[in-house]
Amino acid sequence: MVESIGFEGIAINAWLVWIVPFIGAALIPALAKKSIRFSNMSAVGFAIISALLAATLIPIVVSGSEIHSQIPWIPTLNIKAGILADPLSVIMTNLVAWICSLIIIYSVGYMHGDRDLTRYWFFMLFFIGSMQLIVLSDNLLMVFFGWEGVGFASYALIGFWYADRKKDYVGREGHIVRGIAMWASPTHAGIKAFLMTRAGDVMMLSGMFLIFMHAGTFGFKELLADQTWAHNMMEQNLLVPAAILLFGGAIGKSAQFPLNEWLLEAMTGPTPVSALIHAATMVKAGVFLVARIGPLFFALAAFDAAAFFEVVAWIGAITAFLLATQAIVNPEIKKVLAYSTGSQIGYMMMALGIAGLSTQFVDGYTAGFFHLMSHAMFKASLFMAAGAILHVVGSRFMTDMGGLRKNMNKTFIFMLLSGLSLAGAPLITSGFWSKDAIFAALLESGTSTGISLFFIAFIVAIMTAFYTFRMVGMVFFGTKSKHIQTIEQNSFNKSQYVSSISSDPTDEQRLKPDHENSLKHDSKHQIHEVKAVMWVPFAILAVSTVLIGLVGFIFEEEIHSIMASYLSSSFGIGETISTHNSATNIKQNASPTTEGLNPIALLSSFVAFGIGSGLGIFFYIIRKKDPEIISKYPVLKQTWLFLYNRWYLNSFLYWGFVKIPLRLYKLIWLYFENIIAQGINPALQYSMSFMSKWVKYTQTGVTQTYLFVFAAGIIVVLIMLYL
Amino acid sequence: MATESGILMASIFLPLLLSPLAYFLGKKRGAGVVTWFSFGTLVISTILLIIPILTLSKENPVYEESYVWSQFGNFGLKLDGFSITFAVTVYILSAVIAIFSREYMIRKIAGHFDNLEKPNSHSNNTNNDSGEEELNKNNLTSNSGRGQLESLYSIEPSYKQHIDTQMGLYFALFLTFAMGMVGTVLSTNLIEFYVFFELMLVPAFFLIALYGYSTRKRVSLMFFFWTHVGAVLLLLGMLAMGLFAGGFDFETIKSNVSKIPSQWMTLIVFAVVIGIAVKLGAFLLHIWIPHTYAESPTPISALIAGPMSAIGVYALLRIWIDLLSISYSDYSIYINFWGVVTMVYGGAMALMQDDIKKLLAYSSISHMGYIIFGLGSQSILGVTGSALMWIPHALGETILFLMAGSLILRTNTRGMSNLGGIARKMPYTATIAMIAVLTMIGVPPTTGFMAEWIMFTGALQTGTENMDSFRVVLFSIAILTTILTSSYLLVMYKKIFFGKISPRFEKLRDVNRYAIIPMAFVASLALFLGVYPAPIINPIITYSETIFSDFPEIVSLPTITSLNTKIVASAIIVQEEYASFLDRDDTNFHHSEEFKSIKIKENR
Repeated sequence: MVESIGFEGIAINAWLVWIVPFIGAALIPALAKKSIRFSNMSAVGFAIISALLAATLIPIVVSGSEIHSQIPWIPTLNIKAGILADPLSVIMTNLVAWICSLIIIYSVGYMHGDRDLTRYWFFMLFFIGSMQLIVLSDNLLMVFFGWEGVGFASYALIGFWYADRKKDYVGREGHIVRGIAMWASPTHAGIKAFLMTRAGDVMMLSGMFLIFMHAGTFGFKELLADQTWAHNMMEQNLLVPAAILLFGGAIGKSAQFPLNEWLLEAMTGPTPVSALIHAATMVKAGVFLVARIGPLFFALAAFDAAAFFEVVAWIGAITAFLLATQAIVNPEIKKVLAYSTGSQIGYMMMALGIAGLSTQFVDGYTAGFFHLMSHAMFKASLFMAAGAILHVVGSRFMTDMGGLRKNMNKTFIFMLLSGLSLAGAPLITSGFWSKDAIFAALLESGTSTGISLFFIAFIVAIMTAFYTFRMVGMVFFGTKSKHIQTIEQNSFNKSQYVSSISSDPTDEQRLKPDHENSLKHDSKHQIHEVKAVMWVPFAILAVSTVLIGLVGFIFEEEIHSIMASYLSSSFGIGETISTHNSATNIKQNASPTTEGLNPIALLSSFVAFGIGSGLGIFFYIIRKKDPEIISKYPVLKQTWLFLYNRWYLNSFLYWGFVKIPLRLYKLIWLYFENIIAQGINPALQYSMSFMSKWVKYTQTGVTQTYLFVFAAGIIVVLIMLYL
Repeated sequence: MATESGILMASIFLPLLLSPLAYFLGKKRGAGVVTWFSFGTLVISTILLIIPILTLSKENPVYEESYVWSQFGNFGLKLDGFSITFAVTVYILSAVIAIFSREYMIRKIAGHFDNLEKPNSHSNNTNNDSGEEELNKNNLTSNSGRGQLESLYSIEPSYKQHIDTQMGLYFALFLTFAMGMVGTVLSTNLIEFYVFFELMLVPAFFLIALYGYSTRKRVSLMFFFWTHVGAVLLLLGMLAMGLFAGGFDFETIKSNVSKIPSQWMTLIVFAVVIGIAVKLGAFLLHIWIPHTYAESPTPISALIAGPMSAIGVYALLRIWIDLLSISYSDYSIYINFWGVVTMVYGGAMALMQDDIKKLLAYSSISHMGYIIFGLGSQSILGVTGSALMWIPHALGETILFLMAGSLILRTNTRGMSNLGGIARKMPYTATIAMIAVLTMIGVPPTTGFMAEWIMFTGALQTGTENMDSFRVVLFSIAILTTILTSSYLLVMYKKIFFGKISPRFEKLRDVNRYAIIPMAFVASLALFLGVYPAPIINPIITYSETIFSDFPEIVSLPTITSLNTKIVASAIIVQEEYASFLDRDDTNFHHSEEFKSIKIKENR
């Protein structure tokens, strides 16, 4: 029995990596009955057990082997459930598990005293389990289970504070663009996230269906083992559309253009949730999917899938640019980080896309994956640090902060470290090396696309450095804002403090949220450093991003060799046997070796960091000039407004997909459903009664009339008989 | 094959025979006894239904009982691929709803909901005040199920006899209703089918007329009128079928279906499809649905929206697709199109509603559109998917209507604008309702997703394999409509459960276990069948394959191109290798020639 269902030996730990968080989620409501503290501890425990189980898979990376274990699921359709632990998924699963564990530990401090902790832990563990399911499953159908699992968990966590208090909103109230409000309540944001990612999921499902109906399977291994399905699809010109449709799912989940707008409103969730969504789960799921299917389509190299990779690369580039420009002007700390996530994921997509266009698939692939790893670390750290600041300051606007350097010393140092990584500070941060690897991959691809993408990437890198320093400067440098001064003044007067941060005091009093109480409690004295349970997790990540940065080049080479052996053993993609069709118009002799650094890439990384950080330091840290000067120049002011209004993309989406359809439905409801369709009943009723009225006239009840009609009838019959 | 063991016969007629007893039990022994009696009857019937299913196997997939009846043919009861899931689910849901009915119907009969707050009536002060008083009274007495009902009796002692009698009558009708539905599903003869089909209308009519809301008499007539006209059309079609084929037994018709002249075939298909589409509530024939679902007593709304609409799906599957399978491919495209229109229209109208029950009615129409779309998809996967799709529909609609009932019980309103922030006060209801919403949207791991992906795959398969761009467009619209479905359900959920809570709901508490456990049971069923769908998929898919085996124009199942065994074998090798690798301390093992050679072997 055991053999027939495929639980041979060691595979059980790979299964448990994603099953344990689900078990934990299911048990949390029962455990919470015992005590809050106990359920906190067990949530952390489940996350760490999952992480330890993931760690037991690391030998796979070392040996370059894989585990593939299957059990029957839907026998009539030949669908099997299975897990596939290969180097790619093992590295990813460890990344996810450990970062999630740190975030869960951080949550214990951040969410302390919230009265919905049970629900919080349930969805956090559910989230982690779903993500691990995406990473480890061996077929697209199970990936989709996890895929929707993270979608649902993010919906529930974005709208976690469902009472829709004003302080949980995002966006500046009153900011209306073309009739569309730019601020959103948590529940609104949750629905927005769900629906927009659903649009991506619909595309992904269509792609999955196309593949399934031709291949008869969803399994990655099976798809690779026999490629006749790909021949069939190619004959019908369906292979590239199917791949692009699958990528549609990644567009939705990873918030790429044009489905990027949900990511900003997703900031209504508690900050650990934002960290989780941005660093390790949700948005990374899209990148991981591309990393999963990219080599597959590249391996089917007899069929030119260049169009697919071209789309991936360009979508990534557009998103990177679009979101970086908006991050420059946004006043909310979490939104700046959210924009930067979308932009950085654009980088990853660019790298994965260019991998398929170049002769050296592994270069771009490694660069994209390396950037995913380093981004996961520094972004989790940045978000958790931002959460610490929000926790203390009680406002999401950077204009309400400033001068926090002294009061929050540790937060400042670690946020600066991970911020440097985001900005790509040369030689000491992992962000620098991964970005450099992407630059190198773009330059060495040998295609014109690569060169144009490189310029976009270069400009985005400048903007990244600029907005990072802007953020750090606005939060930690300069003079303290009015808001902070008020807090410090009122520090001995609880009630005044509460009314200063809550717009609706009576309501707050009535609801008495415990979170608010804890905030009150924390802020009783002064602006201060957060507890160790909060700063230690992001400190660990900030330090490790620097440590990786110090050995960055060696680390990159290591990943490169792991990925190279993985790609060649699993997909047969080698550095020498590239048979890509588009290779005909590629110079074959372009950089035959990947060893060593690309000097142009390295130089441009330096230059981009220099320009961006220089501007950032000039305006926001040493503050030589007030950035308000742009309002003196009409062109700059208009540009600022254009960026601040989110390129009008959000308004466009709302008009096109919400407002106009709703008005149309309203018209149909008023005039068709209510008048025509619902009119059928009364119409029948009245026409019947009208007819009966006429028929009633024949029933006069007068004997003479009846006799007359009777006689007339007989005469008519007689006439008919004789004629 | 056919036996006369009488198990199915007992399963069908037990509720009918015991329904007079239910009335007298209610009258003499009270509402509690009759609830448990009806529940027990339905459970026993379900068990009787399941016993023969357990004997089925791959070689012997059909269980049939046949009795000599009249000149119309034999009176048969048959469990095959299509009818198993329908029959079992209908009985299970009826049993579950019977338990939920108890508190709700006692209060309904006692007149607690007579001055129910109408949607959008918060400006109407008089109504609101009385509603609030009612609410406070409800809350005072809502400590636990039993104590609360006892206190209800003590407040209004003169009502006790009246309530008990009415409850007896309610459950007598309820049992007949359930029996009619399962009888329709199991019948093997057109006339028998029609008798059961009409038999379930009569109790439904009385249930609405006696226990419905404000305009109940008018609505019950409307319900009866529409469904009866549909049934008569269906009867005309079935009579023509039987007369041409020379018999009314399904077997006779199946073997003689080619005898039907082609010009008559068009008329027959038209009559049958239109007749059934009334019951499904397809676009333009949906007019009775919002009224009926909204004004029926809520447990009966659940029963009509879930199991009864299923009978429409089943009828279409059985009479059109199974019996008239030679005409299937000629008309499928129209059904496909009609389904898309229905699903978009129902979804759009659902967004406009404020009354929860009306919203659910339109969502039911929209969901029926999915099923109609799948039935017209002209592929085995599509038909299977839509036969499966009925299960998430029934489970989801049942939970959501019971949720609406729970909200009425506690808040005394049906208008979503009067609600908001209830999740804090009714956490169990909110959780279960979320599962139902996910089931309706089709999010894994609920059974909704399992049905949806199979159905949509089938639809797309037909479109691409026949190079039919119209079908591909229909598919795209249909799959995009899932976004519309998610939007109206999530907006509904937000309006009811999220946001600021109104001060008058401060003392609100969740419904008691007699309401929670039925809902939770259905929800767990939805989750279980989503994770492990094999028990419902296997019979349906096997049966669809046998129906369509003679028709090459019906798109068949996708076939796996590679040999699975090979891959599994290589995976096992890798695992063994990996295990031995772990055993060895030699970390350089993977560089060894031995390991490389194994890997190469595995890759080839």
